[in-house]
Amino acid sequence: MRQRLSLKISVSGVRGVVGDSLTPQLITRFAQAFGSYLGRGKVLVGQDARASGVMIKNAVYSGLLSVGCQPVDAGICPIPSFLVLAKESNAAGGIAVTASHNPENWNGLKFISSEGLYLNFSQTQEFLDIYHQGEFTLINADKQKRILAVNKPTRAHLKKLLDVLDVRSIRKKKFKVVTDCCNGAGAVLCPEFLDALACETTWLNAIPDGIFAHHPEPIPENIFRLCRTVEGNQADVGFVQDADADRLAIVDESGKPLGEELTLALAVQYVLSRNPGPVVINLSTSQAIEDIARVYGVPLIRTKIGEINVVEEVIHQKASIGGEGNGGVILPAVHPCRDSFTAMGLTLESMARAGKTISQLRKKIPYYCMVKDQIPGSPEEAYKILRKLKKKYAKTEDITTLDGLKINFSDFWVHIRPSNTESIIRILAEAKSQKEANRAVDRLKKEIAG
Amino acid sequence: MKLLKIGISGIRGIVGDTLTPGLIMDFSSAFGTYLNSQKVLLGRDTRLSGPMLQSATVSALLSTGCDVIDLGVCPAPILQYLVKRLKAKGAISISAGHNDANWNALTFINREGTYLNSYQGEEMLDIYHLGRFKKVSTASLGALVSRTDYLDTYFQDLVKFLDTETIKKTAFKVVIDACNGGGAGIVDIFCRHLGCELIPVNNEPSGYFPHEPEPRPRYASEVASIIKITTANAGFLLNSDVSRISIVSEDGETLSEEYTLPLIASYYLRKKPGAVITNLSTSRMIEDVATYQDCRVIKAKVGQSPCIQEMIEEDGVMAGEGSGSVAIRQFHPAYDGFLAMGIILEMMAVEKLKISAIVHQLPKYHIKKEKIYCPPVKAHSIINEIRKLYPSQKVNLSDGIKVDWKDGWIHIRVSATEPMIRIISESRSEDKAQERVDKATSFVTQLV
Repeated sequence: MRQRLSLKISVSGVRGVVGDSLTPQLITRFAQAFGSYLGRGKVLVGQDARASGVMIKNAVYSGLLSVGCQPVDAGICPIPSFLVLAKESNAAGGIAVTASHNPENWNGLKFISSEGLYLNFSQTQEFLDIYHQGEFTLINADKQKRILAVNKPTRAHLKKLLDVLDVRSIRKKKFKVVTDCCNGAGAVLCPEFLDALACETTWLNAIPDGIFAHHPEPIPENIFRLCRTVEGNQADVGFVQDADADRLAIVDESGKPLGEELTLALAVQYVLSRNPGPVVINLSTSQAIEDIARVYGVPLIRTKIGEINVVEEVIHQKASIGGEGNGGVILPAVHPCRDSFTAMGLTLESMARAGKTISQLRKKIPYYCMVKDQIPGSPEEAYKILRKLKKKYAKTEDITTLDGLKINFSDFWVHIRPSNTESIIRILAEAKSQKEANRAVDRLKKEIAG
Repeated sequence: MKLLKIGISGIRGIVGDTLTPGLIMDFSSAFGTYLNSQKVLLGRDTRLSGPMLQSATVSALLSTGCDVIDLGVCPAPILQYLVKRLKAKGAISISAGHNDANWNALTFINREGTYLNSYQGEEMLDIYHLGRFKKVSTASLGALVSRTDYLDTYFQDLVKFLDTETIKKTAFKVVIDACNGGGAGIVDIFCRHLGCELIPVNNEPSGYFPHEPEPRPRYASEVASIIKITTANAGFLLNSDVSRISIVSEDGETLSEEYTLPLIASYYLRKKPGAVITNLSTSRMIEDVATYQDCRVIKAKVGQSPCIQEMIEEDGVMAGEGSGSVAIRQFHPAYDGFLAMGIILEMMAVEKLKISAIVHQLPKYHIKKEKIYCPPVKAHSIINEIRKLYPSQKVNLSDGIKVDWKDGWIHIRVSATEPMIRIISESRSEDKAQERVDKATSFVTQLV
């Protein structure tokens, strides 16, 4: 097998490994290309809490300045706050220095429009064309700009959250909450947010120093300490954010992790009960959301993987809610982006208004088991595998080729696709039980190997 | 023609043209690789392009595992002094010194606080050309610290080195034109420490240069016009990294930058006799002054790196060049405009003399300078051709061509910082100096 590549350039931006592929020289060329794509103007620059953020950010500054843009430093900033800021400010766009849930040694850039949205597919193509042409219009010394800084980058986001949420109902309950910020950017806003909701809070990993106490993906095997603390403190709920605070996983009052698929399911259940409307999710998201949408008689639209694909459809469909099964809840009333704070707020609000515990709310969600697995593989290897499987299943089963290959069997589904952010092939399966889901993944892996 | 100069101690180019973030990063990465993950200081002047170069440099140094202490706007001599004081392993100064506002430059400074010498520079250039830079993983990345409080550390030490008590007693009034460059605002601290009243000219650290940041009589009219009205004792012009100064006397005479070195030497060599290092293009005044004090003059190639290197190797007490730069070994081996101003004030205070009186003690020479645009690829062959102009004279070829006569000399060389050929001639007779420059100029112009 070929060596696993440590650089990934896609619709999700640039991601690479510091000390390897992600050099200052590479970063600055991307910043020059993005500055050229935007024309002139202010460009917000934010970062998650990773230790390499300063190195990368300075390379971004230099690239932006050289093509006549004015960098505006938003400091360490949760990604949803950064997106709201990009929309509310007069900036021409933004660059977020983040590698989301990738391990500590990774970092990357996400490119953001003045609307506070990630560049979509065609915008990314145009921007990458500029990058690949590699000829940037440099500006002369007399037109060079200074670097500015934003005073309180999370302010606009917090205001939106508190406007949209039923703050009064939540405050009355004085919930006991344990929150694990994973030493990420979420820690910058989380205390102020939960304070505003009158929660009694216990903090884990709340120093935003980027030294992740556990793998920054909010999945059950990474949050053992959170579960124990929730149980020990007899808290009402536990929350864990990922490193850039766009995704959330929930632990119930007994200290049991719900699994990140349930974050969106709970939010959709609650939002549709108050504001029925279209729901948008990606191909890999749980069947449970479809079942809930059916109960409320609202349309359900599935999109390709990649946050911007879901977001664009959310906007187009004027959806009530959308999201991804990885714990990414999109409530357009706050901002069309994945937002762990919105997810926390909706969870607390549904508990408050229904007067129910997390485990009680969870019982109303149709039960499915999802298994997420991966095998190493380049996009080219993935392509070969996909062709083989498609040939095999196209005639006998219900398949979707919108993104990779999804095969809907009668009582379970499998989805296989190349990752947008790493050189791996993701394999997902969902069934009525853990055993069936595992069996489905194993079967597929055998077929790939064979 | 692309304007980019790569020398042993740095790179210099035009922003918006040759001096791109990528190039700056490659050189900074090479320097970081050369230093092998150590503590590096960073300072810049006020040029508008400063932040662009600085952020590129910061990013590259961090990526090689170097810790960076960013001193913000910090003149080169202070940066060089602090390298040793703070036990850093090197520094990068971001300033194009006397070049106009379109230019900027990186100068690489070693752990001794001096410009890289030719061996060190060569090693760094080898790393640059090889292009294999050290890359460290996230856990080993350098840390960035911003500090502005170290300026005081420098000035406290400068105060100790000078006879500050005597300077303070005299309570001088000085006019300083900082050209809105690296010295702007910092000259206030300088004057406060020496108990001088400052009459500031172009003292905004804005980076908008009201004239070229080259301390020369032609830019001194602003200082000269107010020096008498304000009854100031002295006037000074600074370049943008405060490595060079020129002087205006109390009666408004704008002195050539050639005077800075002999004026200081005439006082300092008496205090501390020893060898003086200068370059081939510097006025003979320094030779007359040194001879008078029984001191040697040693000639080196033009530029801070070779002259300072020679001072260290030959154990000289001071070094300086006709561009208005002076270094005192005992303080720090670097060209330092603050130190130069300080010594001149000390001299005035101790000897109770006015600048005009000191100048009158110096021998009179006439210096004529010319620079001719010349593409770097042609420059060296042109210099070789010029030998034909002086068939009967003995020529010195250590740095371009230098020809000596009894009454004076001519020196023709390729600029280290611009695509120019510089012609400079000095004589007791103004006519002879001009005649020699004219002859060489027309010869070079034909060849270009």
